[in-house]
Amino acid sequence: MSDEPRDATATAATDADAEVTGGLGDRWASFRDREISTVLLTVVGVAVFPFLFNNFLDGYTQLATLVLIYGIFAVGFDILLGYTGLLSFGHAVFFGGAAYAAGIFSASVSSSPLLVLLAGTVFAVLMAWIVGFLSLRRGGIYFAILTLTFGQMSFYLAASPLAFLTNGENGFTSVDIGHLLGVIDIHGGVPFPLSMLVDNMLYVFVAVMTVLSVAMANRILHSPYGTVFRAIRENERRAEFVGLDVWRYKLMAFIISAAFAGIAGSLFTIEGNYVPLESLYWTESGRIVIMTVLGGVGSLFGPLFGAGLYLYIENIVSGFPTLGPFWHLILGIVFVVAVVVFPNGIWGGIEYSQDRIMAAIRFTRENGIKAALRYAVDLIVRKVKAVFQRISSIPTRLLGGEDK
Amino acid sequence: MRWGGSGVTLLADILTILLNGLQQGAIYVLLAVGLSIILGTLKFVNFAHGALYLIGAYLGLFITGSVPLNDGQLVEWGIQSYGIGLGFIAALVIVPIVVFVIGLLMERFIAQAFYDRPDTDQILVTFGLAIIVQELLRAMLGGNSQPFPQPSWASGPIALPVVGNFPRWRLGVIVITAVLVLAVYALVEYTDFGLIVQAGTLDDEMVRLLGIRLSRPYLVVFGIGAALAGVAGVVGGPLANVNPNIGTEQLVPAFLTVVIGGVGKIEGAVVAGLMLGTLQVLLIQTGYAAWSQVGIYALAAIILLVRPQGLLGSEVDVS
Repeated sequence: MSDEPRDATATAATDADAEVTGGLGDRWASFRDREISTVLLTVVGVAVFPFLFNNFLDGYTQLATLVLIYGIFAVGFDILLGYTGLLSFGHAVFFGGAAYAAGIFSASVSSSPLLVLLAGTVFAVLMAWIVGFLSLRRGGIYFAILTLTFGQMSFYLAASPLAFLTNGENGFTSVDIGHLLGVIDIHGGVPFPLSMLVDNMLYVFVAVMTVLSVAMANRILHSPYGTVFRAIRENERRAEFVGLDVWRYKLMAFIISAAFAGIAGSLFTIEGNYVPLESLYWTESGRIVIMTVLGGVGSLFGPLFGAGLYLYIENIVSGFPTLGPFWHLILGIVFVVAVVVFPNGIWGGIEYSQDRIMAAIRFTRENGIKAALRYAVDLIVRKVKAVFQRISSIPTRLLGGEDK
Repeated sequence: MRWGGSGVTLLADILTILLNGLQQGAIYVLLAVGLSIILGTLKFVNFAHGALYLIGAYLGLFITGSVPLNDGQLVEWGIQSYGIGLGFIAALVIVPIVVFVIGLLMERFIAQAFYDRPDTDQILVTFGLAIIVQELLRAMLGGNSQPFPQPSWASGPIALPVVGNFPRWRLGVIVITAVLVLAVYALVEYTDFGLIVQAGTLDDEMVRLLGIRLSRPYLVVFGIGAALAGVAGVVGGPLANVNPNIGTEQLVPAFLTVVIGGVGKIEGAVVAGLMLGTLQVLLIQTGYAAWSQVGIYALAAIILLVRPQGLLGSEVDVS
């Protein structure tokens, strides 16, 4: 998990390294570690994303907007799953709950997008306080099942007993979103210099929220507070022995991640002018789990990639002629492969190969090209042998299986 | 004791609710017993248990009769229907055997690699498997609901004392569930095999030190749990239509049943399943149908908060 902030000595070592070798890669690494560069990268990323997405990947701006919305959700979810080590199967409560709260607020209190966003997020935070307080009494699988329970409970609550508020199975349709700050039409076009990159004000609004969310997540994770989250993930008992109130930190991680889900849910309502009942169903919670794990748990940008990949397969690949009908199946297979082979997701894979290439370059520079080639051949032979060994062990594993 | 007319109807009402609750809970129990013994002995969280139920239901359809297809990939390949028409009894015998084997393969090739990894990884990989099974079926056979016909010898009502007419098949579900659960209970409680499994649950290191190989009993436990889910699919299929979503729909209540009853406790799963089933039926029959789903989740939440280890779970299991 090299995307995590390094401690003081490691940074010092990297700096020293950079001075000695002066390699491009090392300079890049030291640039990447600074907070301002994370924000800058995000700004550049969201600015060029719709252009690249629309022109090279068959995408469209509405889908790009949705990718960022789910990206915010996934970044928040990763604070809980990747950094604190808690797997929640009930985050649809906060996403869908915020979506409903935002919708109902827009219809009956104020249609100002910023207030709607605030209302949805506050609702998600309050829900998280209650659900987290109750679910965090138990760890591991019980936490997953308890959050799942509360998630399903809220789905069925919204489905019929509260149908007078939520409009039941038809979803909430009377969303009313006004102009941003009273003047900017959120569903309208954008003025000239920006219009070279995006064609839609809504995308700009969501992109700004994305940058703020990523900056916020980055700040939290790089603070001492975020370090405690990681300590809890690595070893809960030790964190407790050091004198930390583990339960309190877990609850806060839960609430923080729900706040992100709340922002995403409210934006979802603003974007679509509609709240489907399925936004509370547990498959929605499963979706965010898949996105986060695919992209890479324990990294800041990974979940954004995961959200993009998921929605891309769901909306674009599903239109492909032969592959199309199998999109969900493809997603399932990619997900399982990711869990088994790349526990750190796509982002982890990128970081890993980046590190390996960097190490290879350094090795070549120190030992000469001949030694490097010999090493590479040796490595490939070893890997192939290992694969054969696994295959040849299948019969024994089927019949007996060795006791550990 | 006076036997007034109202008294008899009240009694009949209560018994009807109990019987319907039994039937509703029976499917939960079948799934939960399998989940529970796998979770209790192997410490493996199987989110793909619903997928085994799904496989059971579709395999049951395949064996029982001939099902016309109207969308999905198979139609495009020119296959108009599937099924071998051997009848329901054949399905009831063959499905558990096939799903048992699927369970064995799953234990060897998937579960085993995850025993040493965190719970969350187990949940993630089995969740992914569940999606694969569900979506493969949807892609091949289409997402439409297929009616699963009740076996002809068990359709129609049966006249019971006091209760009056009761659907014969629902009674069949209760009887089949009771027989299977009792068989598994006897296997775990009264055989050498069960003794080894129980000992392994308590302290697997000690059992290994005594020179007993645990990997095969564990393999069989996984297979039995899977087979129960498969049977649940065959038995539960005729109660509702079969479509690719029923697996995940049944998984959540089944998991609740396990944790309410206490992990690894067969009796616990039975008690919890019947509680959930009865509560659901009670709410529906007293006019609170809208609250019937909310009710079971609320009950589950309350029990888990008051007694985190489950109704019959031991204190030791609390993590």
